[in-house]
Amino acid sequence: MTAFLDEIEACVPALRRYARALTRNADQADDLVQDCIERALRKRGLFRPTGPMQAWLYRMLLNLYRNSLRQTRRRGDHVPIESLLIEPSTPAPQPGRIALGEMSRAIDQLPPEQREALLLVVLEGVSYEEAATILEIPAGTLMSRLYRARTALRQLTGTGEETKLRTVK
Amino acid sequence: MTGPEKAVTEADLLAYADGKLSAEARAAVEAWLADHPAEAADVAHFQRQNEALQALFAPAGNEPVPAHLRPATIARQKSANDNFRWRQMAAAIVLVVLGGAIGWAGRDVVTPTEAASDVLIESAVTAHSLYVKENRHAVEVAGADRDHLVSWLSNRVTQPVTPPDLSAEGFVLVGGRLLPPSEYASTSPAAMLMYENEAAERVTVYITSALPDGTIESEFTSRDALDAFYWANDKITCTVVGDLPEAQMQTVAKKVYQQLTRRPDGTSAPMNYQRG
Repeated sequence: MTAFLDEIEACVPALRRYARALTRNADQADDLVQDCIERALRKRGLFRPTGPMQAWLYRMLLNLYRNSLRQTRRRGDHVPIESLLIEPSTPAPQPGRIALGEMSRAIDQLPPEQREALLLVVLEGVSYEEAATILEIPAGTLMSRLYRARTALRQLTGTGEETKLRTVK
Repeated sequence: MTGPEKAVTEADLLAYADGKLSAEARAAVEAWLADHPAEAADVAHFQRQNEALQALFAPAGNEPVPAHLRPATIARQKSANDNFRWRQMAAAIVLVVLGGAIGWAGRDVVTPTEAASDVLIESAVTAHSLYVKENRHAVEVAGADRDHLVSWLSNRVTQPVTPPDLSAEGFVLVGGRLLPPSEYASTSPAAMLMYENEAAERVTVYITSALPDGTIESEFTSRDALDAFYWANDKITCTVVGDLPEAQMQTVAKKVYQQLTRRPDGTSAPMNYQRG
């Protein structure tokens, strides 16, 4: 049991990071992580994960997140005021970089399934293969989802043209 | 767009931007990008997206994990909760059993005891209402099979059940059926006999074994627009049900009573009943 707990514990920082990026709300993210750990402890008796522990936890976290999205949609969204105050304080971008505030807003506008996939690969550094397993989609679907997310972000951050010109130079 | 060499796919561009290609594959994509400035710009932007996403969200992974998110803490709480839940469950079971026992022990105190006659009359009236409407299934054994009917019903009622002869009143035996005993009147199952006259009016006779205490009583009452004549002696209880005019009903009921209480000497017990 202790080994199992240690294994989960090693994953908690990554789960918090991913949950925070998905929800954009620290409290909500930690609630998801707590639910996820509880569920892992409950399921442990019935189901010993065969794959890597982290992938199993990511998948549970995603399920919880999707459930919470459904509930939020029914209840109507409410955003604590602090979470709105973070973005404007980000420093002005250096040349050639994407303004973080802009990126933050852009990522919010992605469809949830694109956001889930992109953050899993980019932020969590999960391999394509593993990401497809976690999201329970074929590899091809994952790649096209990622590509669409990337293209959308490029348009949303408004630096598409400028970057292109600079690169050509 | 693509050169004569192996085509570079969107997936390759993504993998290049994410640094997930082997050295060899990376070199191939790089060479291809040199000839494709538009795609090169895409890839450059993808890489900046990665930087921005890391800058925005990676720091959350370096924060110290609060105590309430430590798996060990959650496991401890869970086992405490489980323990509590078991105790609650055990307590609930004890309460249910206790409640059941008290209820059972006090059943005679608490339950308003309906008179056995009321219960039997009620059952007879209900059965009458149910089966009197039936044509093909009014009875289980037809009157034509009288011997079988008599031996079967007598066996089940544990008393001789001889269908009274009501031909003088214009009624012939349609047949009979067996009905379950009421749980509130400790009698045998009930035999129901059905009679019918030329006007297709029907009368039923509902017979059970005697009540446990052998109560002797009689009652004439009306339920649900039906008349019921009930009596009980030390052998059987009997309820005659129909919706005939009262005088005719009384005549029929009296005939049933006389025949079912016939003494060995051929006389019948005197009859007195109260109008209920």
